[in-house]
Amino acid sequence: MTRLLVVDDEAEICNFLKSFFEDRDFEVQTALSGEKAMELVSTFRPQVILLDIKMGNVDGLNVLQQVKSKNPKIKVIMVTALETTDKIEQAMRLGADNYITKPLSLEYLEKDVQEKIANLAARS
Amino acid sequence: MPSQKTRSVDYHEALRDIAKSLVRLKRPERLLKMITRYIDRELGLTHAAILVYEPERSRYTIFDSKGIRKIPRSLIKFDQDYPLIRWFSSKDKETESLRQYLSKQKIREILSNGVAAKLKPETKAELSRVQRSLNDLRADIAIPGFFKDSLIGILLLGEKLSRRLFTRTEIHFFETLVHDAAIAVKTSEYHQHLIERNLELEVRKKQLEERLHEIERLRKKEQSTYYEIMKSLAQEVHAKDPYTFGHIHQVERLGVMTAEELGLDLSGKRKDVLSAGLLLHDVGKVGIPDNVLKKPGGLDREEWKIMRQHVEKGVKILEPLSDFKEVAEIVWCHHENYDGSGYPRGLKGEAIPIEARIVSVVDAFHAIVSTRCYREGRPVEVAFQELRRCAGTQFDPKVVEAFIRAMKKRPKRG
Repeated sequence: MTRLLVVDDEAEICNFLKSFFEDRDFEVQTALSGEKAMELVSTFRPQVILLDIKMGNVDGLNVLQQVKSKNPKIKVIMVTALETTDKIEQAMRLGADNYITKPLSLEYLEKDVQEKIANLAARS
Repeated sequence: MPSQKTRSVDYHEALRDIAKSLVRLKRPERLLKMITRYIDRELGLTHAAILVYEPERSRYTIFDSKGIRKIPRSLIKFDQDYPLIRWFSSKDKETESLRQYLSKQKIREILSNGVAAKLKPETKAELSRVQRSLNDLRADIAIPGFFKDSLIGILLLGEKLSRRLFTRTEIHFFETLVHDAAIAVKTSEYHQHLIERNLELEVRKKQLEERLHEIERLRKKEQSTYYEIMKSLAQEVHAKDPYTFGHIHQVERLGVMTAEELGLDLSGKRKDVLSAGLLLHDVGKVGIPDNVLKKPGGLDREEWKIMRQHVEKGVKILEPLSDFKEVAEIVWCHHENYDGSGYPRGLKGEAIPIEARIVSVVDAFHAIVSTRCYREGRPVEVAFQELRRCAGTQFDPKVVEAFIRAMKKRPKRG
């Protein structure tokens, strides 16, 4: 089973994405903060992370940097809102594997995550 | 527990209440919020949400979501290809009866029992995708709202907290509600569209008015430029003619007063034409040699001939100015007499423009009361007598009387 970590400071968003991916046979954990996310990177060892680019006062870019320096193989998909599109370029330069804009198209989101997993499988 | 929430709801009454509000509400957002709020409060469901179509972005979004399993509003969007949307937008005859509303339970039944055998395999596959969509959206029931065959929204209902199934009555209630809401939304959209269109027209009208205003302003400016040129030209003449120098504006004022007394129409440019005629009637004098123009005492026959040329010289000066056509006409006629004894053409009565008849009277009056180098100016009463003596021969009697009336009305200067 693929391990997916959802990082967002809104619990409702975390819950929605968790049940969405669990229905598709993912193992899902959620983190409402950067620290919790880094903790789960060590303990849960996700293969894919859905990372909100802006969480309250915590910058998603910071978390991205930490994740990538810890384990560059983890696929990170940034979740952005329209007003944060200026950060996308920065995120991509910091090693993000893709980004997806809110409101999300569920089909596109699923396809993108599956694609990242296929990439992982192909490489190993 | 939710026991108090599952109390029986009087659906007929609820529908009546909501229908009343639908009519009142002009803004669809408030209406839709009211519906989800109502369902959440009265029915005790895990989730109630409304998906609406956003025409400007060709997508559906969650407009409102309520309940313990609500979905954050701006998180997801759906395009025309999303299974649930595709299902309700389909025109396939085979599935027509399954487009009034869909429930997970119904789909389960169809897919698991014999009814499914009659469906095409693609349809079955599609139904399982729809089932999955409902699952993702935490809905047990989906009720589409159409307006003229186009899907404008979907009401999603989660399961009851009591875990009981929805009854026929309830589903019928929701169908009616969604149907009415769809119409209300469409109507208010149309209404909004009309308002916007109206505003747009208002703005255009304003722009047009401003433009017209600007044109009018430019026209006025142009006119006043002509007027300035004309005034300086008139000053030039009167500077040459020491007898009338300084009185030019008095001549103009008296003439306009007389015209007003006669009840002439002075609207538009007509007043300007009259003023110009009064100011410029002697403009041709710039072409008369000083030894004739400034000669004290009487002129001989030859000199008179030269002096009279000032009329045609004046016309020649104004000729090139197309806007001064009517002014030139006044200048040409200001020495014509009412009985036809004037010059240069010997015109008679009404054939002489009224403006020229006024100029003639005012000019004569002015000559009588002004001090000349060969005589003192005479009193106004004497001038009136003289004008009346010549009324009907030199002057138009109507103009003479109007002039005298206007003069008498004039406030005496201290």
